Amino acid sequence: MKQPSDLLVSVFDAALLRSASLLVPSIQREEWRREWSAELWHVRRSCISVDDTFSWEAQREITGFCLGAFPDALCLRSQPAKGNPAPVHVHGSATQTLLWLSAALALCFVISRLLPGVEAETEAARYQIKPTVLLVSEAAADSTQPSISAALYQNWKITRQRFFQELAFYRISREAADAGRVSMPWNVAHSTTNLFSLLGLPIKYADQRQDTDFSLPAVILSHDVWMRSFAGDPHIAGHVLRIGHTRVRIAGVAPAGGWQLPGAPDVWLLESDAQFASEASSRTNGYLFAQLSPRGQAAMSGPGISISALNQDGTAIDMFGAPIVAPVEGPWGIYEFALFLALVALPAVTSVSLGDTHVSSHRPSMKQRLNRVVFLGAKFAIIAAIAFAASLDLAYSNTLGYSPLAECLQLLWCFTICLFGFRWAVADQRKRCPVCLRRVTNPATVGLASRTFLGWNGTEMICMGGHALLHVPSLPTSWFSGQRWLYLDSSWDFLFADSCVY
Amino acid sequence: MAAEAKLSHTAAMILQALSAGYVYGFSIMEMTGLPSGTVYPAMRRLERDELIRSQWERQSIADAEQRPPRKYYKLTAAGRATLEASRKRYPLLERLIATEEAKTT
Repeated sequence: MKQPSDLLVSVFDAALLRSASLLVPSIQREEWRREWSAELWHVRRSCISVDDTFSWEAQREITGFCLGAFPDALCLRSQPAKGNPAPVHVHGSATQTLLWLSAALALCFVISRLLPGVEAETEAARYQIKPTVLLVSEAAADSTQPSISAALYQNWKITRQRFFQELAFYRISREAADAGRVSMPWNVAHSTTNLFSLLGLPIKYADQRQDTDFSLPAVILSHDVWMRSFAGDPHIAGHVLRIGHTRVRIAGVAPAGGWQLPGAPDVWLLESDAQFASEASSRTNGYLFAQLSPRGQAAMSGPGISISALNQDGTAIDMFGAPIVAPVEGPWGIYEFALFLALVALPAVTSVSLGDTHVSSHRPSMKQRLNRVVFLGAKFAIIAAIAFAASLDLAYSNTLGYSPLAECLQLLWCFTICLFGFRWAVADQRKRCPVCLRRVTNPATVGLASRTFLGWNGTEMICMGGHALLHVPSLPTSWFSGQRWLYLDSSWDFLFADSCVY
Repeated sequence: MAAEAKLSHTAAMILQALSAGYVYGFSIMEMTGLPSGTVYPAMRRLERDELIRSQWERQSIADAEQRPPRKYYKLTAAGRATLEASRKRYPLLERLIATEEAKTT
């Protein structure tokens, strides 16, 4: 009959073996467990006395035996399974380099997906205002200043137009807004309901809720206000806030490209024509947008169109309509330009030669040469992709929305990363064995600089795979200007054979 | 595995113990005084390099003696050659663990 303490220790020992077995590869686990269980049976029988009395010393010995199962399990785990090839030595290999670069690329892309500024820039480039939409202003006035009165817009609206098929208007006023938690003055654009459709801009996160009070006037938030005051909440549509003395409902968010509109509106309060006519003072100036008709497009020549019109009092006024030129290049346009600049500048910062001079007549096979070219191409491609993602990350790390400064930073970072990344790729390629693409190691200085005219001096490095020696001269001379590869024959093999020493 | 592979003293002791007739892990532990965490991993490596091989005892034998079957180890030809080379390297090995032939002579 076993004592309770003996039983407890037996359970503990069995648990130790079971825990250790989890470290063993599953295919070998069952046999491993069977062997250790059998050995434990014999150890117990050997350690425990014949009369079966409990002894702490014996139990300690048995538990010590069980603890030895862990190094054994780890040993099995580190061994390749039968039939499987031995693990490839990846230290300094082409595979390891590509894995590191790929990991860096994945990290940069993940970060760029999380930055709101990157999304804003992409949106700004994607949602451009239609090129057939003109911003109409007085010819003598600055187009960024409101110059068209609301009354004139109303007059044009009811008059048959020759060159325009649709008109939209907004006027800016500074009003206090109260959204519960936040209360601040906003640039409110009182606009006609057709403004966004005329400009060709979509409304994001449009209100789909059933419980929304649609009798309230609708307001569209600018991307900046949505990010700044509502933390980019995608479910913001339907919420009610107060602008001035009016309760309004949020109907959606303008895309990041909305910043291109003059007056820098924070919100657009959409008003029906009736509301607009009654509310807007006839003297209030605003911005007028006109959609060109096919006839207007044909008549338009040059950067804009000159318009002669009559004012309400019958006096003639000269106006000018110009398309809203979007200066947003978009991340791809900037990237392509930076990539081009970096490729052009690369020969200025490094030699583009890969040092393929060979001392011996041996030449790598076509497959090895192809692998080398593919590896260099892969490094260039991954570095170029890293430059795209990392430049966006760095440019927009402190910016919530689109900004021209961030675009400049993106260009600068992209150029820098591409240039120095490509430089590293070429330098790294020169130090890789042409046969196995591993980096050469163990640099040894040979010769003395003071004896340059008597003999060669420089650095020798060797491929750990035993394929080649690389000679790099300290001072380029007429007879030894660049690095050279010396291929090792089979007589060197014994130096690189894997020895099996326990 | 090259026959002239250099073994550590521990691995050579284990080969010598196997040669002396101690054919399972616990008996080698008892003979050499090495802990289980040294003996079993060393035997895995020796088996991987085909210096020793293992074989399970028949179930009927274990059943007859009312105990679980054991895994026995024995030297291979390469193991014997390596042990011979190790004996030259460690001359006291045979005195530490005497083989059956040495005992009888």
